[in-house]
Amino acid sequence: MRSAEMTAEPAVRQISFSFLRPSRPTLVGALAVLAFLVLWQVAPSMGWVNGRFTSRPTEVFFAAIDIFRNDNFLYHAQISLTEFVAGFALAVVVSIPLGVLLGTSKIARYLIDPPLMALYIAPTLVLLPIMVIWLGIDMAPKIAVVFLGAVFPIVLNTMAGMSEADPRFLRMARSFGATKFDIFTRVLVPGSLPALLTGIRLAVGRAVLGVVVGELFVSQAGIGYQLNLYGSAMRIDRLLVYALVVSAFGYTLTILVRSVENKVRDWRSK
Amino acid sequence: MAQIEIRDLGIDYRKPKSNEVFSAVDSVDLSIEKGEFVTIVGSSGCGKSTLLMAMAGLVNLSRGSIRIDGKEVTGPGRDRAVVFQEASLLPWRSVRGNVKFGLEMQRWSGGDLNERAMQMIRLVGLGRFSDYHPHQLSGGMRQRVNIARALAVDPDVLLMDEPFGALDAQTREIMGTELLRIWERHKKTALFVTHDIDEAIFLADKIVVMGRNPGHIKEVINVDLPRPRDEAVLDSEPFHDLRKRLRAHLAEDMSSMQLVKEVA
Repeated sequence: MRSAEMTAEPAVRQISFSFLRPSRPTLVGALAVLAFLVLWQVAPSMGWVNGRFTSRPTEVFFAAIDIFRNDNFLYHAQISLTEFVAGFALAVVVSIPLGVLLGTSKIARYLIDPPLMALYIAPTLVLLPIMVIWLGIDMAPKIAVVFLGAVFPIVLNTMAGMSEADPRFLRMARSFGATKFDIFTRVLVPGSLPALLTGIRLAVGRAVLGVVVGELFVSQAGIGYQLNLYGSAMRIDRLLVYALVVSAFGYTLTILVRSVENKVRDWRSK
Repeated sequence: MAQIEIRDLGIDYRKPKSNEVFSAVDSVDLSIEKGEFVTIVGSSGCGKSTLLMAMAGLVNLSRGSIRIDGKEVTGPGRDRAVVFQEASLLPWRSVRGNVKFGLEMQRWSGGDLNERAMQMIRLVGLGRFSDYHPHQLSGGMRQRVNIARALAVDPDVLLMDEPFGALDAQTREIMGTELLRIWERHKKTALFVTHDIDEAIFLADKIVVMGRNPGHIKEVINVDLPRPRDEAVLDSEPFHDLRKRLRAHLAEDMSSMQLVKEVA
C-alpha cells in the first residue's frame, strides 16, 4: 500500500517554484545558446568570417521586424499553412482508417504491408517532380507531397498499435463475453492511441519538410518561395528569419503532440 | 447431478513449428458440486491451467464435454468469470474502470454500474484506491482488483488461474485468507489452480491432483478441515497429513520427469 501512496504524492509537489531554480541542463543549454549568439555577432567584425555570408543576430532581428511588418509575411504564411493543413488533414482522414484496417485484418496486412513499407522508407519527396507534372505549380502538388509524407507514419503506427495489442487483454475481454466490437472500442482503440499519436508526431516533421521543399522546388508564393527568393538575392538575414519561422512552427507542433502523447501514455510510465 | 460435469475431456495442441500434435489434457472426468471450493494442484506442464481455461470457454475441446448446470460449455458465458494469473488490468483504466469492465460487457450502465463497481472495490479492501491506475498498485492490490472484476459480474462459478502465483509468500498468505473471507459470504463455486501445496489445502473443500504427459487427474482428495479457516489451520495435524500426501504425489511427478530427461 505504501508504494501506491508514494507514487501518488510527488506529482503535486513538483510544480512549486521549480522555474526559479532552472535545472543544470537548462542552464548549460541557455549559456551555450548565448555564447553562440555572441560569437556569431562578433565574428564578422573580427574578420573571422565574411559577414555577407553569415549575417548577424542583430541583423536577423531587424530583418524579422521588417518582414513581419512589410513583407506580406501573413500572405505567404497563409499559403504554406493552408498546404500544410490540407495535406495533413487528408493524411489523417485516410491513414487512421487504413491503419485500423491493417491492424485488425491479417489478410489486409499481408496484402498491403510490403508496398507500404517500401513507400514509407523511400523519401516521398522524390515524387515531387511527378506531382508537379500531374498537378501544376499551385498548392496542389505541395498538398500531395505533405499528404504522402504524413500518411505513412500514421498508418504504420496505428497498425502496429492495433496488431500488437496485448493478447492477455484480449483473452481477458473475451472471458467476460466481449464482442468483437467491444474488444475494438474498449481494448484496441485506447491501447493503440499512444502509438497513433507517435505516428502523428513523426508525420508533423515530414509534412513541414514537404511544404517547404515543395515550395522551394517550384512555386509562386509561400514560405519556401520566400526562402528561395532571399537565397538567390543573398539576403542571409531574411532567409534566416523564414528558416526560423519554419523550425519554430515544426517544433511547437511537435511539442504539442508530444505533450498530448505523454498525457495519454501516462498510465504506461514506470 | 453436480453443477459442473466434465466427461472424458481431452485437449490437443498443435505445436506451431513442427505441426506435431500433443495432448495437454486427456481423459479427464470431474464432478464439482455447487458451492464447492476446488483447488487444482500439480507441477508445471500438467495441464491444470488448460483445464481451467477450458471451463472458461477460452480453449477448444478436442474430445469429451464440459457441462455447467446441464448446459454444454461452448465459449465464455455469464455464468463464469475468470481471475487471471497476471492481473490483466487495462493500464489506461483506473481501478474502478477495470472493475467496471465485465459489467460493461453485460450492458450495465449509469449509477448501477458505478455503485456495483464501488461495492466490489470496497469488498476487496481497495475503497481508497478506486481512482488509482494499475501501475500505481502493488502486485497484491492488482490481484484484488482482478478478483473484484470477476466477482462484480456475479458469476455462478469463479475460475482462478494461479492468481497469487507472482506474489511473495507473505502477501500470498494474506490474499488466501482474504479470498476465503470473501468466498464465505457468497459461497460461489470456486476453482483455483495453484502449484503451491499449502495454498491448495488451505483453500479447498476438494483438491484435484494432476499429473503430466498427458495432463490427467491422479487423485481427488476431500479436505475436511473446519471452516472458517485461518492461519492456525496450517499447523494442525490433518493439514500436515494432507501436505505429506500431496508432496508424495508431486515428488513422483518430478522423478518421472527426470527419468524422461535422462532417457532423452
